[in-house]
Amino acid sequence: MSTKVLAFINFKGGVGKTACAVNIAATLAKLHEKKVLVVDLDPQSNSSLWLMRPDQWREHVAKGRRSTFEIFDDAIQGKERFNFAESVVKGVVTWTGFVEVPQLHLLPASVELLKVEDRIHELRAPTVYRILERALKDHLGAYDYVFFDCPPNLYSTTKNAIFLSDSCIVPYIPDYLSLSGFQVLAEYIAELRGKYTDSAGDRRHPNVGGVIVSHYRQTGNVFRLAINELEIMLAELRTHGILETNVSLLQPFIRHCVRVAESTSEHLPVVLYAPGCIGAQDYSDLTQNFLTHFHHKR
Amino acid sequence: MNYQELASKLLHTAERVQKHAHKLEGDTINKSAVRLAADVDRFEEILSGFLASRKSGELFLETLLRSPAAKKYVTLELLRKALRETCSKRLKSEELGGAKREFIEAVHASERAEPAVKYLKHAFAEAAYVPPAGKDKAALQHEFLQLGRLSDEDYATTIAKRTFGELRRLAGTNGIRFTDKTTKPHLIKSIRRYARRLAANLPT
Ligand SMILES: Nc1ncnc2c1ncn2[C@@H]1O[C@H](COP(=O)(O)OP(=O)(O)O)[C@@H](O)[C@H]1O
Ligand SMILES: [Mg+2]
Repeated sequence: MSTKVLAFINFKGGVGKTACAVNIAATLAKLHEKKVLVVDLDPQSNSSLWLMRPDQWREHVAKGRRSTFEIFDDAIQGKERFNFAESVVKGVVTWTGFVEVPQLHLLPASVELLKVEDRIHELRAPTVYRILERALKDHLGAYDYVFFDCPPNLYSTTKNAIFLSDSCIVPYIPDYLSLSGFQVLAEYIAELRGKYTDSAGDRRHPNVGGVIVSHYRQTGNVFRLAINELEIMLAELRTHGILETNVSLLQPFIRHCVRVAESTSEHLPVVLYAPGCIGAQDYSDLTQNFLTHFHHKR
Repeated sequence: MNYQELASKLLHTAERVQKHAHKLEGDTINKSAVRLAADVDRFEEILSGFLASRKSGELFLETLLRSPAAKKYVTLELLRKALRETCSKRLKSEELGGAKREFIEAVHASERAEPAVKYLKHAFAEAAYVPPAGKDKAALQHEFLQLGRLSDEDYATTIAKRTFGELRRLAGTNGIRFTDKTTKPHLIKSIRRYARRLAANLPT
């Protein structure tokens, strides 16, 4: 089985990293029979809380155990406590109390991840960027897709995810602040690519594989103009070799939909919570094209 | 809970009851045992019905027909075609809800769940597909950026050479809204405004 490992990144917050990771993962598992692992790397633990009830989550990750925090804490403390089988959560609990989408797995985060950045620099490169790889490499092969839901920054945990991923996916809200941020992000990843592909025998190739537009609204032409600017920026960055040629603006755009926001309070991906809403339809079509884009047809 | 856990739970209880069966007695546990037996009977009945009526392919077909893509793309016409091509049958229902039920039953009767799933999946994928933008669009976007980088005088001379039709295509492709009443001078002003904004927002 060839696993696709993707990091959902953007150093802006609230742009839909978590929403895209969670909802594309759930759609792949539920409607395309894929085995998918979501790895939550954000101390805010949003994808964990989207897929788990708060009490269930709190109990599971009590004291930072059985969470992605433990992976980094082990590395800092030189311990080996993290146990994948015990940490991974399989399926989501629906209102009946029964588990649905057993093919969707989650490695939850815990708030203790906040402490990681302060101490992680006690470790040296390249070890510091291979912490996730060391802990997860033997487990990823069991999945069709592995998604890293990253925090809104490009610090060490995100870098770990970028280094372990085949590509990065950048969720994007169409406005100028996102546009300027995107350029910085693309340049940063190009720099990592230049730095690390040079070192002999290194197969890692940090790159942006796709951009997803989220929170899209059709009113007026504000968003159409902003998308046009994004498309032209993508073309320019490609021309200058900052982005690679296969980067794609994935279709369709995810429209703003209150049901998506509401599904977080129900702790269910929107395809389970409200399969008929426009948000679920957009994620469904996007997932379809996502599969085609990453050449992972059944 | 999942069904694996349910199975383990039942096995665990069954083993304990079997081991201690000879010494279990008294109203409290007797009553609870009768209730449990009745619940198990009811569950067995539902389970049997479930297993008799659906194979995994059909279950997935039902999931597909309740999916977001189904809500968007499943029409009477699509079901009619799907049924004809996968089961060589004619759809009778004239209303979507009924047609979905009829479709599932017909597929079940002909044991054609697999091709039916394949047919629907393919139809959904086709419907969701967005063809990549052509060279035309890329060229018009590039031209738009170049216009934004021109000085006022150069812009005025360059734009004057364009026909109204060309300007409308340039504006439309680049997300600028206009109506049938929009005049040429107005369009030239709009294009200038947004092309300049673009040039300023993009790195040089
Ligand atoms: N399509 C959507 N429509 C409406 N609200 C959305 C949509 N997608 C995400 N949201 C909401 O927007 C907020 C930010 O999204 P989130 O995925 O958490 O962003 P990020 O992970 O980038 O910080 C969340 O509160 C979420 O509920
Ligand atoms: Mg998030």
